Amino acid sequence: MVKVEDIKKEAKRILKEGKVKYIIGYKKSTNGLMSVPAFIESPEDVENLIWDPTCVYNLTRFLVDEKRRKAREKNPDERPVGIVVKGCDSRAIIVLLQEKFINRENIYVLGISCETTGVLDEKKLLKKLNGKKAEKVEYDEKDNFIITTLDGKSKVPADEILAERCLECRANFPVINDILFGEKVDRKLDNRFKSLEKIESLSKEKRWGFWKEQLDKCIRCYACRSVCPMCYCDECVVDTINFAVTADTTAEEKAQRIKWVEKSPTTSENFVYHFVRAIHLAGRCIDCGECERVCPMDIPLRFLNKKMEKEAKELFDYDAGFDPDQPSLVSCFKDEDPEDFIR
Amino acid sequence: MKKRTGVFVCHCGINIAGTVDVKKVTEELSKHPGVVHSEDYIYMCSDPGQNLIIDAIKEKNLDKVVVACCSPTLHETTFRNTIKSAGLNTFQCEIANIREQCSWVHKDMEKATEKAIKISKSTVERVLRNESLDPISIPVTRRALVIGGGIAGIQSALDLANSDFEVVLVERSPSIGGHMIQLSETFPTLDCSQCILTPKMVEVSKHPNIKLMTFSEVQEISGYIGNFKVKILKKPTYVDPDKCTLCDECTKVCPVVVPNEFDLGLTGRRAIYIPFPQAIPATYILDINSCPGLLPIACGKCADVCEPNAIDFDMKPEIIEEEVGAIIVASGYDQYDKELMAEYGYGKYPDVLDGLQFERLLSASGPTMGKILRPSDHKEPKEVVFIQCVGSRDPELHCEYCSKICCMYTAKHAMLYKHHVHDGQAYVFYIDIRSGGKGYEEFVQRAVEEDGVLYLRGKVSKVFEDKEKLKVWGIDTLIGKDIEIDADMVVLAMATRPSNGAEELARKLKIALDKDGFLAEAHPKLRPVESVTSGMFLAGAAQAPKDIPEAVAQASGAAAKAISILCQERLYHAPTVANVNINLCTGCGMCVDVCPYDALSLKNGKAEVNEVLCEGCGTCSATCLRAAIQVKNITPLQVHEMINACLGG
Repeated sequence: MVKVEDIKKEAKRILKEGKVKYIIGYKKSTNGLMSVPAFIESPEDVENLIWDPTCVYNLTRFLVDEKRRKAREKNPDERPVGIVVKGCDSRAIIVLLQEKFINRENIYVLGISCETTGVLDEKKLLKKLNGKKAEKVEYDEKDNFIITTLDGKSKVPADEILAERCLECRANFPVINDILFGEKVDRKLDNRFKSLEKIESLSKEKRWGFWKEQLDKCIRCYACRSVCPMCYCDECVVDTINFAVTADTTAEEKAQRIKWVEKSPTTSENFVYHFVRAIHLAGRCIDCGECERVCPMDIPLRFLNKKMEKEAKELFDYDAGFDPDQPSLVSCFKDEDPEDFIR
Repeated sequence: MKKRTGVFVCHCGINIAGTVDVKKVTEELSKHPGVVHSEDYIYMCSDPGQNLIIDAIKEKNLDKVVVACCSPTLHETTFRNTIKSAGLNTFQCEIANIREQCSWVHKDMEKATEKAIKISKSTVERVLRNESLDPISIPVTRRALVIGGGIAGIQSALDLANSDFEVVLVERSPSIGGHMIQLSETFPTLDCSQCILTPKMVEVSKHPNIKLMTFSEVQEISGYIGNFKVKILKKPTYVDPDKCTLCDECTKVCPVVVPNEFDLGLTGRRAIYIPFPQAIPATYILDINSCPGLLPIACGKCADVCEPNAIDFDMKPEIIEEEVGAIIVASGYDQYDKELMAEYGYGKYPDVLDGLQFERLLSASGPTMGKILRPSDHKEPKEVVFIQCVGSRDPELHCEYCSKICCMYTAKHAMLYKHHVHDGQAYVFYIDIRSGGKGYEEFVQRAVEEDGVLYLRGKVSKVFEDKEKLKVWGIDTLIGKDIEIDADMVVLAMATRPSNGAEELARKLKIALDKDGFLAEAHPKLRPVESVTSGMFLAGAAQAPKDIPEAVAQASGAAAKAISILCQERLYHAPTVANVNINLCTGCGMCVDVCPYDALSLKNGKAEVNEVLCEGCGTCSATCLRAAIQVKNITPLQVHEMINACLGG
C-alpha cells in the first residue's frame, strides 16, 4: 500500500536538495471532498501533499503550461519539475515525450501505483451515499475504500465507486518514473473495451440519434480541450479568434487563416469540433477520462476516444503511451497493415 | 493585384462533349467571379487550341489560366508550356479534370455537366490563389550505378561507359554473366550463348569507365535524381584477385564438396572454387558457408598450397560509398520454386530436371561435356518429355502470368535434344504456343517439321517412377484422350519469377513492385524503362519475363534514359514543395516519420524541408496535427475555397 509519508519524504528531499524547482501534486481542497492540484515550492509546504482516491486529476496538463511559461521567461530556471503521476497520467507523459513536446530531463516523476483499485468517480460516490456528504475517502489494505461521513466510517468495495476508466485500466502502474510508490500489481481485465459494447450494439440510426442528442448539449466551453494534456496546439482548428498571432506572423499568413468551424453550438459545428478532436487524439489519448469529468453538460466524451483507442488496437495493434521511442500511430506505416477497411 | 482568369473548355472530340454540355460549362464559368474569359474548343491540346489560349492571354491580359480537359498527368505540362510562351509563370495554369473524373465515368448529361462546372469552378478558386514559382535547380553527379551483372546490366553498363560516363556495376554473385552464361545455345539462331556473351564480359572488365564490383550488394541508397549516395557492401572472397594465378592447386586439396550453383547442382564444387572458367573477374573465391572454418587450425589446406599467398583469411567485409546521378536496376529473374511443383516429382527423381539444368546438360562446357545423359545412370535418354507452363498461367495455385520465354526455349531444348540423340523422341506438353517474335514461329515449326518433335496440347497431371522409367500421365485435349508416356527424362519449363531479394532491393531503392513482384514501370506503354522513382530505370527480366533480345533492347533504352539525365549540367525540380510554418510547428516529428522521400528533418526542434527531395505529395501536411506544413499551390486555404466552390458557396 502506498504511504503518503513516503511521498512527502521524497518530496522534501528533492526540494531541499534543489533537484526540482517545484512539485506538482495533490492537496486537500478548502471546499469539499475532492483533492485539488498543489504546487509545492518549499520543503515546508510538503506537508500539504495527500494521496487518496480523490486524487483524480491528470496533472500532466500542467507540464504543457510549464513549457509555455518557461518559453516566455528571460532566464528560465532549468531545473526539472517534480510531478506526481498515476499509471494513466504516466502514459500521458510518454506521449508528450514521444511527440518531443517535453524532454525527459525536464521532469522528475514521482510515480504512484494504483495497485488493485484506482480513483473514485464523484458522481458514483454521491449516489452511493444517497446525498450524505463524505468528509474523507481513504484506501484500505484491500480492494475497499473507507468513507468517513458524519455517521462515522464505512467500508465500500472500490469497484462500486471507481471511475469508469479505472475499471478498464491497463496501466495501474506508472510506466515511467524516477521513484515509485506502491507495488506493481497485475490486475485482471477481461475486456478493456467493455463500456463500448452498449453503444456498438446499437443500429447506425440509433447511434446517430444518441450522439446527436449528446453533442447537441455541448455549449462549446472547451473545458474538455483545456483539461486535455494532448490538446497542446497553440492554434486550434476550431478557433477563429484565438489565432496565435506572433510578431512575425505576416499579413499573408493572417489572410490564409480559414474558418473551418462556426463558433455557434449548432449540431453540425458541434459534430465537427468533437470529431476533429477525437481524430486528433487517435493513438494519443491515454484514457485519463478528464474530458468527460470536466464536461459541465455530462457528454460521454470518453466513448469517442475509447472507440478510437479500440480501432487503433484492433487494426494496427497500437497502444498509446507505453513506449516513448515508438513512432506515433499516424506516422507509422507497416507493410502488414490491414487494408480491408479501404472499400 | 489583378486577377484575370481565362477558362478553356476542351471537347476532346466526343470524349468530353459526348457526356458534358461543354457550351454550358463555358457559359457558367464566364459568370464566375475572377473569370474574364471563357471559351471552348474541340481539341484544346492541338496547335490551334493552344493558340486560342495564347491569343486570349494577350488580348484579354489574362494572368491565370484554367484548362478543363483530361487528367493533369497527360497535358498539364503542355498547357503550362503554352502559357509560358505567352509570358506567364507556368504555375499560373491549373487543369480541371473533366474527362477521367467526369465524362468518362458518368452517363447522365445533366448531372455530368453540373459536376464539370463544379470541378472547373473549384479549379478557378485554386488557381486564383496560386503563387508564381520557379523550378528548383540542382547539380548532377555525372556517373551511373548499374545493379545486376547479367546480360541486361552488362549492356546498360557498356552503353553508358561507351558514352563516356563512369559506371559502377554491382553484382552480388562472384562473377558477372547472369543466367545467360549458363545457357548452351540461344533461340532462334542457335548461336552459342557463352560465345556471344563472353566478349561483352571481357569488355566490361577492361573498360576504363567501368568500376566492376562483384560479390557486392547495394546496402543503402539515399539522395535523389542526379545526386544519389549509395552504400555498397563488398563481401570478402578471402582470395586476393590480384595475386591469384588460377593455378587450381587449392581445389585439389580442399576436402569439402558442395553442389555447384553454376551447374544447378548437377556437379559438385569445392569450398574454394572459381564459378566457371570464363568468370569475370577471373579469380577463385572461398565460400564461407561451406568452408570448415576460416581459422587455419580448422583446415587451411588451401592456404598451405597457395604459392602466390593469395588466400587471406583475415579479409573483412567493406562498405564502399559511391555517388551517382542515375541508377539502372537489372536484378534479373530466378526460376519458380520447384518444391511447389511436387506433382512433377522434382527433387524426388533425379531425371526430372528444370530448364536451366537441361541447358547445362546441353552445354559443351557442362557436366557431361555436351552429351545428353541421365543424371541417375548416365545413360542416353531415348524418350524425353518437356512440360511447358510449369507454374505459369496457373492463377489458382501458382503464377497468374505467362513466363513468355518457355515456349521458345522448350522448342529449342527439344530441337537440340534431337540434334544430339537422333533416334530419340521428344514430346512437348503445351497449353498454347506463343511464338511472337522475329524468326520465332519459323523456329517452332522447324522443331515440329524437321526434328519431329511431338507437340501434345494438354497438361500433365502426374510424373512418377515406374520400372526405371518416369511415367508421365497427361492428356491430349485435341483428341480428347489420356496420354501415358514412359519417359527416360522429364524437363520442366519452370515459370520465371523476380530474382531472390528483388523485393528487399526494391524497398531499399523505394521503387514499386507490381502484383507479381516484378519491378513496376512508371507507365506500361509510354515509360516502360522508367521506375516510379525519378532517376531510377529498369532493365531486363527484373521488370517482366523477357528473352535476351528484349532484355538487351530494354537495357540500351534504360542506358539512353540515364544518359538523358547525366548529360545535363543541372536538373530542375518542381517547386511545389512542402513549406513549414515555424510558428506553429511543435517539433513532434510525425512529418519526419511519414515522409516517403526523407525530405523532412528536425532542426532546432522544428521541422525543415529539403526542397530538392520533396515531391510535394502532401503526406506531411495531412499528418501534421497543428496544420504547420502546407504544400505550395495546394494550401489548406486553396482546398477550403475549392470545397466551397464545389458546395456552391
